[in-house]
Amino acid sequence: MSALAKRRAGVILRLGAVAATLVVFLFPVYWLVTMAFKPQQEWAPTEGQIFWLPHDWTFGNFRRIFGGSATGDSGLSFLISTPIDALTPILNSLVASVGGTALALVIGTSTAYGISRFGAGGKVLPFQILQLRMFPPIAIIIPVLFLWTYLKLFDTLPGLVIIYAAITFPFVVWLMRSFFDEVPREIREAAIVDGCSELGAFRKAVLPLVRGGLATTALFVFILNWSDFLIALVLTSQRVHTAPVFLSQIQSAATGQEYGSQAALGLILIIPPVLLSILIQRHLVRGLTFGAVKR
Amino acid sequence: MADEGGYDHRLMSGEPLSTTEAVTSPSLPSPAPVAGEGGDGGVAGPAPAGGSPGAARARRANERLGRRLVLPGQVMLIGLVTFPALVALYISFTRWSPSTGYDWYEAFRVWSWLSNYDGVFGASFLSAFIRTVLMTGVAVGLEFALGLGIALLFMSRFPMHRVGSVLMLIPMMITPAVAGFIFFLLLQSNGPVNGILSAVVPGNVELRWLSDPTLAPIAVVLADVWQWTPFMFLILLAGLLAVPDDQVKAAQILGASWAQIFRRIVLPIIKPIILIALILRAMEAFKLFDSAWLMTKGGPGEASSTISVKLYRDAFLSDQWSYVAALAIVVMIVVSLAAARAVRSLERVQEAQT
Repeated sequence: MSALAKRRAGVILRLGAVAATLVVFLFPVYWLVTMAFKPQQEWAPTEGQIFWLPHDWTFGNFRRIFGGSATGDSGLSFLISTPIDALTPILNSLVASVGGTALALVIGTSTAYGISRFGAGGKVLPFQILQLRMFPPIAIIIPVLFLWTYLKLFDTLPGLVIIYAAITFPFVVWLMRSFFDEVPREIREAAIVDGCSELGAFRKAVLPLVRGGLATTALFVFILNWSDFLIALVLTSQRVHTAPVFLSQIQSAATGQEYGSQAALGLILIIPPVLLSILIQRHLVRGLTFGAVKR
Repeated sequence: MADEGGYDHRLMSGEPLSTTEAVTSPSLPSPAPVAGEGGDGGVAGPAPAGGSPGAARARRANERLGRRLVLPGQVMLIGLVTFPALVALYISFTRWSPSTGYDWYEAFRVWSWLSNYDGVFGASFLSAFIRTVLMTGVAVGLEFALGLGIALLFMSRFPMHRVGSVLMLIPMMITPAVAGFIFFLLLQSNGPVNGILSAVVPGNVELRWLSDPTLAPIAVVLADVWQWTPFMFLILLAGLLAVPDDQVKAAQILGASWAQIFRRIVLPIIKPIILIALILRAMEAFKLFDSAWLMTKGGPGEASSTISVKLYRDAFLSDQWSYVAALAIVVMIVVSLAAARAVRSLERVQEAQT
């Protein structure tokens, strides 16, 4: 075999392996997406026949989770079950995630700037902050629950916003610190020599240079908050349930299987993080490693 | 609780973690003048410690500003970590639960000294702990092996390379609770996974993935491996791409085999990245809750209960709050010790390199 043919065979082999890997890793996503469009009689196999593809595509599941009825295209079986309202949980998720992200960004950026530029907190503070990330959230959340009940923050959006900010703030500190560290110290000093106040130097000289980093951090933290399940499960009740918690509760409803409705909500839930992550792809590695690995 | 417990802070401040440019130590930024070590006094002024009173004043002003900037963060740490941890410690010495009718701060009325801690070291916690460690070890090990393999596949260019790597990252981006739900669907005894197995293996496979005590933890691990192999892939690929081309080429010219190049050149360079990836992943896997809850709720029995699931179940299903508080305290201590160890081993690698 000539060297060229050998190389071509290598490429084809590699492509085959890549394709096989992708098929395996994307099959679960495929299953969720198709399930969201399957009518009830296709959710589970009938007579051992698995529905690898939806036979009768339907938007009934989406209508159903927004309080509508799925009938019209898939029989009357939904009439007996109670209506589902997924809109409120989705809005709760959105408000809590955005609010928590904003609060974490303000506090975290300030802390990161203090650490990066002024060495505040010495060597201990950054580590304490990282430590927060290492504890299983449940160990922290249960005591917080006592506090939240006492402060009447249990099952409220502000309560959720504060705890989301606290849980994701280590990410902001470590990420923003790695971005601030890349800004030459002279930039701030030059701005101050030019007559800027400390705040002015930050706003006019430093901030523009880390704007990309700030945006990345914001999206990253939003994804983290949006993905939360445990915290909302513990710290909310019916009123401000977030979408992931709501999804798990549809499952346990007495009306029996709700696979399609759950899949429809699941599909809606995964769209924002998947799209946003493509936006921040360049900084993904840095974010995931707390800024330790830069690319 | 949040006060540092025997950590070695040098990791966070020492030299770069490796000779690669891809890894920089998550370090304090000021290699220049550091006024002191640790604590509130350890504030590094950006200005060199000049002798003139003006410079000293400027430095003090900077220190003050720095302290003010980090103040909100410190308040948050104390309010939402230290204080709750102290509350948990307090509750753990009592028999309190919401059903006692007292508010949590009145828990001293049902004081019980260390009785909760008797249970902590009992069989049920120990088995949950060992189970979590095992599941974490298997999951992270598989994720590493698969992630490295896939990263090596993606090392050289091929058509649609970019699209392929973006697609590969999708599982990682999926909300973990939704991932759990997906695997709940996939692993039904009449679900698609058994369907595929039936097509491959003779006979009708009807494995009860979610309700069999042996299979349930495997199912949970499977979901974790699916979701987080892309994480390993992404980070290892970043490390592999940072390996200098000329060194590899030189070794090739000298006739080194592929395995030799990997062991002698690539591995030493990406070792710090491997460690970071393993440690971060192990930390997260140890906390596993969401997908396990969606798939099995820790069942059957406690067969797939990780520590987090057990804590949740004991608190909310069994109403054993004070016992859970004691567990939480023990878990915090154990995790702190484990983290300190991990950090130290990380540092050893770093020292071995310089």
